[in-house]
Amino acid sequence: MELLRIDNLRKRYSSFELKDVSFSLEAGYIMGFIGPNGAGKTTTLKCMLGLVKPDGGKVQMFGHDFFQNELAYKQLIGVHFGGVDFYTKTQIKTITDVVSRFYENWDNTVYKSYVQRFNLDENKRPSELSGGMKIKYSLALALSHHAKLLILDEPTSGLDPVARNDLLTLFQETIESGEVSILFSTHITSDLENCADFITYIENGRIIASCEKDELIASYRLVKGTSAQLPDVKTRLISEKTHAFGFTGLIQTNDLIDGDTVTAEAPCLDDIMIFHAKKEKRHEESA
Amino acid sequence: MKNLLNKEFRLVINPLFFLTTLFGALVLIPQWVFLVAPTYLLYIAVPNIIITAKAQKDIEFTALLPVRKSDAVSARVLAIALLQVVQIFVIAIFAMLNIVLYHTSNYLIDPNVAYIGCVFAMYGIFNLVFFPMLYKTAYKVAVPLIVAMIFTVAFAAGIEFLVVGVPVAAFILDGISRDALIGQIPVLVCGIAVFILLTWISIRKSIERYGKVDL
Repeated sequence: MELLRIDNLRKRYSSFELKDVSFSLEAGYIMGFIGPNGAGKTTTLKCMLGLVKPDGGKVQMFGHDFFQNELAYKQLIGVHFGGVDFYTKTQIKTITDVVSRFYENWDNTVYKSYVQRFNLDENKRPSELSGGMKIKYSLALALSHHAKLLILDEPTSGLDPVARNDLLTLFQETIESGEVSILFSTHITSDLENCADFITYIENGRIIASCEKDELIASYRLVKGTSAQLPDVKTRLISEKTHAFGFTGLIQTNDLIDGDTVTAEAPCLDDIMIFHAKKEKRHEESA
Repeated sequence: MKNLLNKEFRLVINPLFFLTTLFGALVLIPQWVFLVAPTYLLYIAVPNIIITAKAQKDIEFTALLPVRKSDAVSARVLAIALLQVVQIFVIAIFAMLNIVLYHTSNYLIDPNVAYIGCVFAMYGIFNLVFFPMLYKTAYKVAVPLIVAMIFTVAFAAGIEFLVVGVPVAAFILDGISRDALIGQIPVLVCGIAVFILLTWISIRKSIERYGKVDL
């Protein structure tokens, strides 16, 4: 079942534009929403949830138009936007008590299990929590009402490697039932290498790719060669970096031809992002 | 709405703000401009509530809850309207005390039943001006507050002018005799109706404007 479908979402600001953003997510999967800072990840998530009014496009959740019955669908989603930087001087047990009343399916047992797992002291105030603990508390709130779709904006940034790993394990446990999906935006692509099933990659407000992670990686090759080899492939490269010994560039796998003498290997998600960003920058400079 | 009001009173409106309603005791000052007493709530408590909410990132917090954007506006205006009603209740107690203790007529409007009606209407005017201007941005307080202050002061000045300078109006609005107080009940009812109507219009207009704000 398709839990989320975004079609041609558009939003224009004076200095930035979200251009026909479309992607979808089936139940039981984790989708990484990646892109460099300022690419439009948070704007897309905010448009999806109506926090920012889109200029056009459709948002479907659980097979229905999200904005037609916003209240019902908001009960079925868990949202996290950054750490808890609200009500910094209020005890978190008071904040939890207020939040829990809004959810019909709030499960205090589940909440307490996260409190225990994350070592949260409910008598503390957000101002007394470290950055990582604030994120954990925010996630505990987002995960405690049996949400079917989790929309998480940068949930792992600010966490130490142990906490990040713990969180990614938790994400995988959450989707095991096959009923829950997670869409999480990040610019730390290493988080996605192990846990994401799908990747949606946004660059300068435009979706570059939205597909299975392995398919995305397979569709690109990282090519390396000497300066003499560069002219043969340069026009086919998405972009490249030159150095004293030659060049490194990214190419669409389909654009490689039999006679190419350059070395080609599988890129990591970082490589794909970096070379696409370089291409965008080059376009902006030439425009 | 119940949950949102619970959030307003537990997280946003500190109990301290209810203490500001004790400015109603100023009505005990003999021979005074009694329409000043209800303005402390408007000029001290209300902007501070909005500024506190802004500092605590309440808008962002509320936006992530399973509520409509419009409900967040209604809850905020209703919570403050409730605070205004509490303020009027406190003023009414001290106004009664004033009449019982001094039993003297005031040069300006007396702290009588019509006065309470005028306070309701004044709060309605404040709500009508302040909130729709505030919700153009949802965080800029200064200009909406200044404009709302001008309107409420102009209204209060108008009432005092009527009491001092227009005998017909003074007959309706002034006086602390038993008959006068009973005769002023329609003014109170009209004041309450104006308060409810203007606050309702204020909510509608604020929702319309807040709908266009990108968070």
